[in-house]
Amino acid sequence: MRKYIFTLSCLLVFAFGSVLAQENATEIKKVDKPVRSPFESGYLIDNQTTLIQPVKTLEFAIQHKFGSVENGHSDLWGLYAPSANIRLALNYVVAENIQIGLGVTKGGTADENALKMITDFNAKWTILEQTRNNTVPIALAVYGNIAIDGRDKDIFEYDYGFSDRLSSFAQVIVGRKFNDEISLQTGLSYSHFNLIDKGSYHDKLGVHFNGRFKVSPQGSIIFNFDAPIDLISLDSEADDYKNSKPNLSFGYEISTSTHAFQIYMGNSKGLIQQDIMVNNSNKIDLDNFMIGFTITRLWNF
Amino acid sequence: MKTLKNIFIGLSLVFTGILLAAFTLPQNKKVGRPWEIPAKYKTMENTFKDDASLLKVGKMLYTKHCKSCHGSKGEGNGPKAKSMKTAIRSLKSAEVQSQADGVLYYQSFVGRDEMPNYEKKIGDDEDRWAIINYLRTMK
Repeated sequence: MRKYIFTLSCLLVFAFGSVLAQENATEIKKVDKPVRSPFESGYLIDNQTTLIQPVKTLEFAIQHKFGSVENGHSDLWGLYAPSANIRLALNYVVAENIQIGLGVTKGGTADENALKMITDFNAKWTILEQTRNNTVPIALAVYGNIAIDGRDKDIFEYDYGFSDRLSSFAQVIVGRKFNDEISLQTGLSYSHFNLIDKGSYHDKLGVHFNGRFKVSPQGSIIFNFDAPIDLISLDSEADDYKNSKPNLSFGYEISTSTHAFQIYMGNSKGLIQQDIMVNNSNKIDLDNFMIGFTITRLWNF
Repeated sequence: MKTLKNIFIGLSLVFTGILLAAFTLPQNKKVGRPWEIPAKYKTMENTFKDDASLLKVGKMLYTKHCKSCHGSKGEGNGPKAKSMKTAIRSLKSAEVQSQADGVLYYQSFVGRDEMPNYEKKIGDDEDRWAIINYLRTMK
């Protein structure tokens, strides 16, 4: 864990150092512009990228995860399974590299017989953009959300309070476009649920690693790996806890002027990240994989 | 047997009609009215004219933003072209290629009617000229 924090700190210091060192130089030199399209969308499977669209862009996102493929053709490899998860979201770029958003996620599963209807309010700020001549060698972004569990209050146990519905997620993302084909990101996150099931954590640290490999002007192979970190010190209450399972996804992205289409397979049902980091009980096993897609549509104003 | 023959003739007529319509409909589209280009663009200088390093960038951006209407080779036969009310000129044609760079710039990024404005989607001037340079390779 310390190693991750140390590595991230070094990258941050290096990045800020580079900016300061070049501040005077840019006055007389040609401006070093940000790299072109480090990613095609603000979404990468079920995670965020450092990319934020131009100011006054409205983004509509449709995210869907079907059921697991374990039943084979009987439910068409999960496509007709009842446990699908859906998130619809709108994001708007209010200022240069600052985006706010609102999303609604179905959540829950068929056997729980309860739609969670999670509403999340989120924001992303790309603090640093990688530049073409490496004046700034990395992109740095912070992302956070607060989510409200929308189930009937009778579902919650005794001493119900509104705060029982709340959960949050905060993430630092560091990315680099290595060349026209390869862009990679890593990140550190903190997830929190005010109310949890027995045997879960309230809080969870996680590390993230994802990227894309462009195989044609419009097509890329994409992947994502989220690893929850098992830190007992974060939650003394959970004596019989089970650490949530890592989330591995891989797929293909097609991008056009106004759309990005990502189709993938992954082993987590969650669509908001705190759900993925805290509640994923599916091991990385072929039977647990489910087909999913993320589609974004942009409008410029 | 006679019924079967009638069905066969009927279906043949329908398919022939569809086939003929497929060839005739696009030709009925009208080319847009002449462009009114502001003086600023008529004399606008392409500041990246000789930058060969931008050709790859131009191709990438053309593929992402323009191909769906203008086609992969600029012949105006992209998948979206069929749904347009206006006929799309071939970017290879002398009519297009004889225009000044600044005129192509105006038509491509400021646009009008069915040719949408791309000034926000392609915000960087260098990227816009990269596309113009790429269009020049379609002669």
